[in-house]
Amino acid sequence: MTARSQRILFWALVWFCILILSVPTVIVVGASFTTANMISFPPEGFTLKWYGKIALARDLQQAFVRSLIVSTVCLIASVPVGTLAGLALSRFKLRFANAIQIYLLLPFTVPLIGSGIGMMLVFGEWRVLGSLWPVGVALAVINLPFIIWSVSSSAGALDGDLELAASSCGAGRFETFWFVTLPGVMPGVITGGLLMFVLAMSEFLVSLLLTDARTVTLPVQIYNNIRSIITPDLAAVSSVFVVIALLAVWLLDRLVGLEIFLKSK
Amino acid sequence: MPQIPSTDDPQTTFRYPLRWRIMDALNYGLDRFWPARMSPYTGWALIMPALLLVGILVLGLFEMADSSLHTLDRAIFRPSEAYTLENYQAVMESATYGRVVMRSVFAAGLTVFFTLLLALPYAYIMVRTTRSAVRKALLVTLFLPFFIGQVVRAYGLLIILGTNGVANNALGLVGIEPIRLLFNFPAVVFGLVQYMLPFAVLMLAPALTAIPRETETAASSLGANWLQSFRHIVLPMAKPGLIGAGLVVGTLSLTDFAMPAMLGGGSQDFIANAIYDQFFRTADQGLGAALALLLVVLGSVIVGVVIALFGAGTLGMGSKK
Repeated sequence: MTARSQRILFWALVWFCILILSVPTVIVVGASFTTANMISFPPEGFTLKWYGKIALARDLQQAFVRSLIVSTVCLIASVPVGTLAGLALSRFKLRFANAIQIYLLLPFTVPLIGSGIGMMLVFGEWRVLGSLWPVGVALAVINLPFIIWSVSSSAGALDGDLELAASSCGAGRFETFWFVTLPGVMPGVITGGLLMFVLAMSEFLVSLLLTDARTVTLPVQIYNNIRSIITPDLAAVSSVFVVIALLAVWLLDRLVGLEIFLKSK
Repeated sequence: MPQIPSTDDPQTTFRYPLRWRIMDALNYGLDRFWPARMSPYTGWALIMPALLLVGILVLGLFEMADSSLHTLDRAIFRPSEAYTLENYQAVMESATYGRVVMRSVFAAGLTVFFTLLLALPYAYIMVRTTRSAVRKALLVTLFLPFFIGQVVRAYGLLIILGTNGVANNALGLVGIEPIRLLFNFPAVVFGLVQYMLPFAVLMLAPALTAIPRETETAASSLGANWLQSFRHIVLPMAKPGLIGAGLVVGTLSLTDFAMPAMLGGGSQDFIANAIYDQFFRTADQGLGAALALLLVVLGSVIVGVVIALFGAGTLGMGSKK
């Protein structure tokens, strides 16, 4: 159906995309197995010693645990808030709905450096800077539109008559919400929650601004180490992120299917 | 005749399940806490937590505005008491910042162009392919880097583009001397395009899905070649996606920090790097805040103008009818 020239041109561009999207990942993972003391590619020999080294490095372990804590805080803060907001935007008629949309898009329209520094000043004023939970809250703020989006698109696909049917069958308002509305938007909640967690795990700039030497998270730690010297153990740490991303993609595909992102609104 | 259980018959007393009790209690609680006559405000109650959470960010903007109005008193190294616009004046008059702003805007423009150029065929093939395995593979290729994060991806590019990196080794095989591929402007733009590609494709794909395959078939059966049908059918109908993608890519790359910092090696600073330096190197908080606010304004103006001209595209939230 499509013309030959179109197919060739498009596939050439697609292959170029695939190349530039995947090669950095492949290189990082490959470099983590090198036996040499400096990054080289193709890797010389095969060894797992760098993984052994990072498994023993206390600072990396602690940074990893901190990243997990931050992502969990982000998840706990954003999922209920984002779910309710997504429902409100798609199931209720709100006055000033346009103004609310613009307001809730602020985390995306305000540059990360701006929101990061702003929140740094606010948390400094509140005297909570230096603990971990504000980082999680800040990451919930900057990625909130993601979960609102995914919940509201799920809610848009949910038939409103189902809720009416439930309540005419005698379900109270809470039962209607718990047994009809919430399961109906669950795919959106799961997608949004997964996005929030993984994006918080790998977020860099706001984490850089809100952490100090005692609360540094793993992406910031990697950045700091790159600035000084590039060694294979860093490639091994980076491979941890590759594994997390693989897990996340697999989970997302199993739970809701990646094709959900291709659906038109 | 079936026996109807009645409450006065002790043999068939009906045990009210625990789950029902809990649900009743919750319903009762909800009725007490949020009576049905409040239902016109239910939407507001649901959205309030989100408004408050984003409120932290708004509060931060006000904090920044406040601190941008104080200059740094270099005698005591603390912000001065008096309110002044001197910081803004300093930014406006500085040729360095002018250069940094121009570089960021130029790079963002280039990034939008190249990213859309690559993302459009990618999204198109991904949406249109009839083989589900191909679609899945393309989706996975897209999502992996999206989740891996910017630092690790920039690190991968550092290894590739370094003097002893893969790219130079490959060039060496065909007899070309190693060239400096890193720490220059094209390297930063390349990094940005690589970073933005998943965002752009994910914004574009829904818009392309919305285009019925039949319209293209109709165009080609009426004699349009693929270029014509792409130009007159696909591009106009994909406009919401192109706008959404362009906006996201443009604002994210305009304000990016990590790519200029890591791939630019300090010589290719963007606005965000200048702001960071003001806060953490020179410790001139007022000047940094003024710069950051100007960046916020610049970004909002660009977003505002584009939305006013073309609508929000696929960026809109909620199911707008």
